[in-house]
Amino acid sequence: MRNELEKYYPLIPVFAAYLAMFLIGKNVTGMWQLMGMLAFYCALGQAFNIFLGMTGYVDFGYVAFMGVGTYGMALGITRLAHIEGLGVVIIIIGFILSLLMSTMLSIAVGAVALRLRGAYFAIATIGVNEGFRYLIEGARIWNGSEGMIFNAQLNQILGREAASALSTFWADIMVLIIAALAAFVTLYYMRSKIGYALTALREDEDAAKVMGINVTKYKIIAFITSACFAGLLGAVSWALKTPYVFPPEVFEIHYTVEAIIIVLLGGAGTLLGPVAGGLIYGISKYYLSIILPGFQLLIFAPIIIIIIILFPEGVVGMLKSKVKDSALARFII
Amino acid sequence: MSLLKLENITKRFGGLVAVDRVSLEIKSGESIGIVGPNGSGKTTLFNVISGVFFPEEGKVIFDGQDITTLPPYKRAPLGIGRTFQISRPFHSATVRENIAVGAMFGTLSGKVSVDESLDIADYIIERVGIKEHRDKPAGTLTPVEKKLMEIGRALAMKPRILLMDEAMAGMHPNDIDEMVGFIKKIAEEEKIAIVAMVEHIMRAVIGIAEKVIVLHQGAKLVDAPTKEALEDPKVVEVYLGQPQDARRWIKYWQQEE
Repeated sequence: MRNELEKYYPLIPVFAAYLAMFLIGKNVTGMWQLMGMLAFYCALGQAFNIFLGMTGYVDFGYVAFMGVGTYGMALGITRLAHIEGLGVVIIIIGFILSLLMSTMLSIAVGAVALRLRGAYFAIATIGVNEGFRYLIEGARIWNGSEGMIFNAQLNQILGREAASALSTFWADIMVLIIAALAAFVTLYYMRSKIGYALTALREDEDAAKVMGINVTKYKIIAFITSACFAGLLGAVSWALKTPYVFPPEVFEIHYTVEAIIIVLLGGAGTLLGPVAGGLIYGISKYYLSIILPGFQLLIFAPIIIIIIILFPEGVVGMLKSKVKDSALARFII
Repeated sequence: MSLLKLENITKRFGGLVAVDRVSLEIKSGESIGIVGPNGSGKTTLFNVISGVFFPEEGKVIFDGQDITTLPPYKRAPLGIGRTFQISRPFHSATVRENIAVGAMFGTLSGKVSVDESLDIADYIIERVGIKEHRDKPAGTLTPVEKKLMEIGRALAMKPRILLMDEAMAGMHPNDIDEMVGFIKKIAEEEKIAIVAMVEHIMRAVIGIAEKVIVLHQGAKLVDAPTKEALEDPKVVEVYLGQPQDARRWIKYWQQEE
């Protein structure tokens, strides 16, 4: 039994970081917004790491899953708001819709693209988010390019006060919960057959195949899981936090690039990596834009390059090999 | 009954015929060598057996079942294990984890848990004699240790046939003798049929194989007991050229000087 518990020790530093974010945000005046942003980056990294980190495949269209997740929640709220007495149930239905839509899109993309190897997969996914955006705009699905604004409906469902508490406080809490859940699933995968299969296929796909691993199956598992978390994250931080959705904003490749940077900075395939990456990325982005407004990207790029060169395995990857033989090794993976 | 049977296998890459109507048969527990110079189609033949390539013509029959178009991940659990010419460990995983992967996915029931696999890995690490490297990342091993680890990884799959692609290339002769002894012992104890593929380390083939198949330009040249096969004039010619040619070249070089 003790052994079983010990398997989950590596979650302690991850959860501690999330708890610290919550406590700092709650108790230090003016910090809540920054902590919310950091939580978003950590959650984004944690979710993307399940695919990018564990399989070694780069999905450039990743933001599309967040986009359809946002639409799922938006559709739930706008289409059901007129029904009296549903209240919070509508939000729950919104989450279910987000999950369904991101799952369906990931199956559609994965079934085609995951048959391709390495760089070919990356190329095949480049257009997914743009394609989806133009599909919505061009075919005028879900209000097309006008998007959806559902501030009023949210007020109607929850009441003005609760709706405002949701977007300023509870949405950030939910982001932290999503991040923690993603971390838990990551560790669960790492400790199970899925993790072993993913490591094997990441290192050598052909060798993995002749050793009896159905590589496509495991890639799709990681892909769908990762996409589900992206969908939830979109639903929370892009629909509940800011109650509107416009196609160009939620299918913006910029977020995929941020996710890639966070995962690589922290350490791809590690559990603690996305937390470290999210914090480094979020904090430097935030403060650079205060100290050197307008020049932040100019300074930011070299910082990222330096970190990547100094720690090619990511910050946590480096940390992991440092503590390998010490008692800390049980906590950092 | 034969364990593995190839019937008229032909594999082409565009206009190149890599394997040309090769048939062979391996009985349970038998050890055979596949010998041939570079480019003779040995590795392609292995890839056809393990499912990396599907042949254009012919049939692969394993234990009475036609597996010609079965994907590789479904063949492994039937009992087809292989090692690679250039070792292909999962670098970042430890030696123990590498071998556990074999036990986890390579057995027929498919119901070996992670913990059980790690126990099996511990047992096998001891057998192949790399116990001191158990928790090292596989990428940090020496080439010989990597080969041993690969053999261990294949053994964890409980293979009925083990395809060894140049398992001894680049090894010191002493290591080769040791490895040959080890492979023979394992094969006898676990009743595994061995197919050892070799380009020029005949020492390894003589030690392991009861029977040798010589490939030349994709086709089967000789199929005979080991000693007989290696002394066959056709085989000598494939490796060294015709005696009169050799003499003519030597004469030519002497004149040049």
